[in-house]
Amino acid sequence: MEFPEQLRYSEEHEWVAVDGARARIGITDFAQDSLGDVVYVELPGVGANVMAHAGCAEIESTKSVSEIFSPVTGTVVEVNSALDDAPEQVNADPYGAGWIFVIEMADPSEVDALLDAAAYRALVEAG
Amino acid sequence: MTRWRLVDDIGPVGDAGLAAAANMAADAALLDTVVGGASPALRLYRWTPPALSLGRFQPDDDVDVDACERFGVDVVRRPTGGQGLLHGPDLTYAVAMPLPAGNAGSVDAVYELLAGALISGLARLGVDAAIARHDGPSGPVCFAGQQGADLRVGERKVCGSAQVRRDGAVLQHGSILLVRLPFDETDLLRPRPGSYPVTRAQLRDATVTLEELGAPTDPRVVADALVEGFAATLDLTFDLTVTPTLDLQSSQRVASSDRRG
Repeated sequence: MEFPEQLRYSEEHEWVAVDGARARIGITDFAQDSLGDVVYVELPGVGANVMAHAGCAEIESTKSVSEIFSPVTGTVVEVNSALDDAPEQVNADPYGAGWIFVIEMADPSEVDALLDAAAYRALVEAG
Repeated sequence: MTRWRLVDDIGPVGDAGLAAAANMAADAALLDTVVGGASPALRLYRWTPPALSLGRFQPDDDVDVDACERFGVDVVRRPTGGQGLLHGPDLTYAVAMPLPAGNAGSVDAVYELLAGALISGLARLGVDAAIARHDGPSGPVCFAGQQGADLRVGERKVCGSAQVRRDGAVLQHGSILLVRLPFDETDLLRPRPGSYPVTRAQLRDATVTLEELGAPTDPRVVADALVEGFAATLDLTFDLTVTPTLDLQSSQRVASSDRRG
């Protein structure tokens, strides 16, 4: 199970990679492993305004349909359309090619409230 | 001892059935009630007329609309994931409950929890079911594949289930095969481009009905056994309650907005 040090994490099992005011977001290795084989990702619309910790996308695996939450508030500026044809990238490379969307953050300080890698690892390992 | 609500839509003599849109609206409403703070609920129901239910994001193109009309089969979209499933010869259960905290709320853990209750219910009918653990082939026909969410007798699927998770709660529903109709999913769903069609013989080999197992098929008897299985396995007492408000408008909105392809 990977917990890259440079990322921040939500308790809902999303990761955030911060680049200035932009946050690239996906689901964690733990989340993809729990969901099983991902067969479809319902991406948010570019331009959509999202609230921190509110559902903004959905992911279907062979076992379940689940919400994806945005860990931060802002506007969707980019989505990973490659997942339309290759949703399995979420399983194969959750922190890379399996990224899901990019948010232009309304308040980048929101990231400070997210978990670091050690805290997220502790959350997952605590069960 | 935990208290759950029981929505029994089978009828006193097991002959009741609801239309497809009403059934899916009721399940969606069941989840809404739990999100709103109500206690967990088990719902048991059947389908009149027969209906093909599609997974939340299953492509429209999978459906042979002309064939569905010819066989008098309604088509409805489920709030849950998965593939196409013919209802009518089955008994369907739905559970809505808050997600347990931590790993107990994982997809696999919730399936295992409810599988234990279903297996206990089926055992009361003399059916020795187990959790299916391997991944089956992908394609438009639910019962042609097996996932960890399913129950099998031997290697044949007897119950297929699906989940949706929203706002800290989960809706899981699933279909237990009682008998067979003269037609099945292979008449109603089209093969996807580039894939081999599932044949009727393959589907029959992959599945088994309670009738074929020599178990009771009276829906009232099966429903009562499932209620007993849930109560015993999960240490529940049930409060009988009415079918949640049938918000057909909401159900139709789901059907028109959540499709792809």
